[in-house]
Amino acid sequence: MRRLLPALACATLALPLPSSASAQEPGRITVDRYSLPNGLTVILAENHSTQVVAVDVWYNVGSRNERSGRTGFAHLFEHMMFQGSEGVKKGDHMALLTRAGSQGFNGSTTEDRTNYFQPLPSNRLNLGLWLEADRMRSLSITDSNFTNQREVVKEERRMRVDNQPYTRALFEEMYGIMDSATCFPYAHSIIGSMDDLNAAKTSDVKEFFDLYYAPNNATLVVAGDFDSAEAKRLISLYFSDVPRGKTPPPVPCTASVNSGPRRKNVLDPKANLPAVMAIYRIPAYDHADYPALELLSTILGQGESSRFNRALAREQKLAVATPVFANPFGPRRGPGVFLLLAIANQGIKTDTLEKAMAVEAAKIGREGITNAELTKAQNAYRATTISGRETPLEVAEALQRANLFLGNPEAVNTDFARHMAVSADDVKRVAATYLRPDNALTLIITSEAK
Amino acid sequence: MRPAIRSFARGHFAASALLFAALAPEAHAQYPRTPPPAASLKPAQFPPFQETALPNGLRLVVVERRDQPLVSISLSFPAGSRYEPSGHEGLATLAATLLTKGAGARSADEISATIEGVGGSIGASAGSDFLTVRADVLTPNVPLAFELLSDVAVRPSFPEKELELARTQILSALQLELSQPSAIASRAFARELYGKNPYALRPTPESVRRVARSDLVAFQKARLRPSGALLVVAGDLSFADARRLASRSFAGWKGAPIASAAGSAPPARRKTEIVLVHRPGSVQSNIVMGNVTFLPGDPRFFAVTVANRVLGSSASARLFNILREQKSWTYGAYSNITRPQGIGSFQVTAEVRTEVTDSAVAEMITQVRRIAREQVGTEEFSAAMESLVGAFPLTIQTANQVAAAVTNAKLLGLPPDYLQTYRTRLAVITPPMALAAARSSFRGDAALIVVVGDATKIHDGLNAIAPVRLVTTEGMPLAASALTATAGPLNLDMTRLVARSDSFVVMVQGNAFGFQRTSLEKNAGGYTYTEATQIGAIVNQTTTLTFGEKLDMRHVTQRGTMQGQELKTDVTYSGGRVKGSAMTPTPQGVRTVAIDTAIAAGTLDDNAVQAIVPALKWTPNAKFQMSVFSAGQGGLRPMTLNVAGKESVMVPAGTFDVYRAELTGGQAPVTLFVTTAAPHRVVKVTIAGAPIEFLLVK
Repeated sequence: MRRLLPALACATLALPLPSSASAQEPGRITVDRYSLPNGLTVILAENHSTQVVAVDVWYNVGSRNERSGRTGFAHLFEHMMFQGSEGVKKGDHMALLTRAGSQGFNGSTTEDRTNYFQPLPSNRLNLGLWLEADRMRSLSITDSNFTNQREVVKEERRMRVDNQPYTRALFEEMYGIMDSATCFPYAHSIIGSMDDLNAAKTSDVKEFFDLYYAPNNATLVVAGDFDSAEAKRLISLYFSDVPRGKTPPPVPCTASVNSGPRRKNVLDPKANLPAVMAIYRIPAYDHADYPALELLSTILGQGESSRFNRALAREQKLAVATPVFANPFGPRRGPGVFLLLAIANQGIKTDTLEKAMAVEAAKIGREGITNAELTKAQNAYRATTISGRETPLEVAEALQRANLFLGNPEAVNTDFARHMAVSADDVKRVAATYLRPDNALTLIITSEAK
Repeated sequence: MRPAIRSFARGHFAASALLFAALAPEAHAQYPRTPPPAASLKPAQFPPFQETALPNGLRLVVVERRDQPLVSISLSFPAGSRYEPSGHEGLATLAATLLTKGAGARSADEISATIEGVGGSIGASAGSDFLTVRADVLTPNVPLAFELLSDVAVRPSFPEKELELARTQILSALQLELSQPSAIASRAFARELYGKNPYALRPTPESVRRVARSDLVAFQKARLRPSGALLVVAGDLSFADARRLASRSFAGWKGAPIASAAGSAPPARRKTEIVLVHRPGSVQSNIVMGNVTFLPGDPRFFAVTVANRVLGSSASARLFNILREQKSWTYGAYSNITRPQGIGSFQVTAEVRTEVTDSAVAEMITQVRRIAREQVGTEEFSAAMESLVGAFPLTIQTANQVAAAVTNAKLLGLPPDYLQTYRTRLAVITPPMALAAARSSFRGDAALIVVVGDATKIHDGLNAIAPVRLVTTEGMPLAASALTATAGPLNLDMTRLVARSDSFVVMVQGNAFGFQRTSLEKNAGGYTYTEATQIGAIVNQTTTLTFGEKLDMRHVTQRGTMQGQELKTDVTYSGGRVKGSAMTPTPQGVRTVAIDTAIAAGTLDDNAVQAIVPALKWTPNAKFQMSVFSAGQGGLRPMTLNVAGKESVMVPAGTFDVYRAELTGGQAPVTLFVTTAAPHRVVKVTIAGAPIEFLLVK
């Protein structure tokens, strides 16, 4: 003890800036999880540091649940959820939220889930819960709503995919990494095909609602400035008598990683600068390799000092932008994708760029990373995680992710340690395992036919 | 079978609800059939912040927030793009980019490795008024953040090689930006709306190329001074610690930015005008409509904010409801007001399907007129007001949001109690006040409307709404006749074609380096044009084009070598298609392309442009739209030949009065100098960006 004391005193004096929170990891989130008899999972996380409460519902359905001939349907359905219900006239859903002062409410669809979220001033918790309950129990599914929203979705498709550079590759061609035969759920895009959107019928909407939008397939998270007892009372009152539905069928996917190289030329008339996209198959989010893959994506592509930016943009001047993603639209329970994109500098040929990307991608698997790179990636993860939990909505989404992808909302407090336990060797090993040419789809994106 | 169960549940529930409602006060424990009412609104105070000024004039604001171990520091200067010298647009952005690319004792790589190594970030950006440097770190790294901030703001080194790298990247980003219709629309809108005011200006490739290192050094010296700058610290740090670190980090730094002239007033507009930016092949139209408004401290701001809420600043507003929900014309339609340090603007934006462009524009005008003429009804007004007031806590959730609000208020010079009284000043606005403010600020009858889209499909519809001025994506005027010409063949005058042969000398950087001989012969059934070119040992090629009687394309053959690689093209134009093959040298070797493409009537080969020059109907304002096929590139592209001016040029063959005609749409813009007198001959050719000229010898 006597020898330790001076050391401790020094350490304290040397700290110029006493911090009221732990400076090393995100604050612990206290989680209260329970289920209603109809199967609705409820997760509450009370915190009074703002006057805002977030109501966030995830349905366990995404494009992975779509069948052949109905691609794009999960997303199309998401639009239907804003078209009114028994107690909410068409157009009133958004009006009620807006009038309550909610901002940034929305829904979104990924491969694995569909979410509906609203941050509200805390005096309007009841409205947020009630709106979610009313559409879960009595969504208005009419021909006119459906036709109208189908046109909106087609317009969204034109805007996001057909009229923007590089989105064709990212939103559609990227899915060519998987085989329809062995893994249709992850071999088609979220936005879907125009033909399938046109073929969708109102009866499909009803069927989809009954199968996937039942309480037993949903999780409700409430986070922020509320009183738990009052929230539980309201949740019971609003959701208890929504009837349980059937258990949805399992999602078939038998594909594995390393099933052979592929390449494709993508004609993208809007891409003034050509680009190269390399896509690699990676395992699911809860796989032991995933944290190392996330850190690998940081080391390769995040920040000025990332390898791709340093080598391809700054030293060789081959690229203007080099984003790297593990699963660009969010985590997956099925096979995922690791994606390297490089947009060519003026006058640079795609062949040159592709070779340079391959060299950089292979280098980590062969030579490994430095400890400084590992520390940097872990610090970046630390900062992103801490700053990604500032608002009630961010906390709610973190809880939903932990619950769906790691099987338990409490994992929100342990996933951080999973990333801090990654070693430099782990990163080298996952790079060698997954960033291999025989595990890749390469897309060459040009504005004119090659 | 859940629908049946559900409707049963609903029926059962409805009956019991009625029963309970009639009999007992416990009815409140039943599922409510209508939206539950609001609980009382908590009074939201703007979070406290402290401020002071350091002896050197630097203002410091601290927003203390201790719940997460994060600190964000921003340092803003009056050094936005409005202070750029004319012709140097992009200077402020280049300066901002380069501040963190070498400063103090650190190189660019050392700065990024240092800050990213601790999970932090540092960066700078320039808007139209201010340049802001910002660092975000975890609490233990705050001293490092201050050290880096003071280095980059006070001691940037602006290395030449970083400037060239940043320039290359900005030029590429510009190219990318100019390919996006929304960016084309916003640039055109700013240019037309603000006229000679600096807010009109955006960087161009030319202005970015012009910026030299000395410009950056001078700009930093003149504008990045402590007096007039604002340092805002938000997060897990006390006021005392922030002041101590700021005083230490910025000790010895002195001075104020030099005064600069106020910008010219934006042009006055008395009636609505549509500026149509022709973007061939667009599948959508991007629409921006609006007008200039007022200075940031204008008392109308609060009433205009409420009126704008009713009109279009949310997804429950009129524009979204009508254009998206009722008509399905668009994914979104919004209005917004900008509030820069100078004159602000009002804008309505939407991106719509091409075929409904005119309907959407007409509806936007109708809605802007309506908000400025009719008082908003009580219910709609209350909804807008409640949403603005209720949303206030959501706008100040994080330390950064609070800091951004404080920064903005301070930089715009708003009153000291602005943030504390914001909510109450909004809440006192009445419908008549909103109407009065909308009438003077939203100009439905004197609006600028910019539409970016395929003008061949939308010009006439728009012209029926308001006078249309047609421009290219670069902002150059375009004649409406050019739109129809694109689709059809060029209007050619065969009588002006005379058999002849011309010789050119090829000058490279002022030295004769080769020659070109062209000849046109009339023969049975049409014309043959031959062009033989030799440039040093680099190019040696002969191109032969055959045309029908009306100069319609028949065959093109090309033989020769380029940089030692073989060049060989054979294509035939027939029956609405072009077929054949082209061998083209590329840096990776000779590439052979098989060609079989459908083409419109009147499509020219890219080698034929010079051949048809004599048959064009030249006038001082002539603009020729051509559909051109390029075998080497394997594709069709629209090209434009515009007379840009008249001048006199001296070439070895003599002095000629010529039209200076710019050929754009190809790989690089080419300028042709064509005699004003018939027969029209090309006497000189220059290629943009290349030190090469073709001059007529005889």
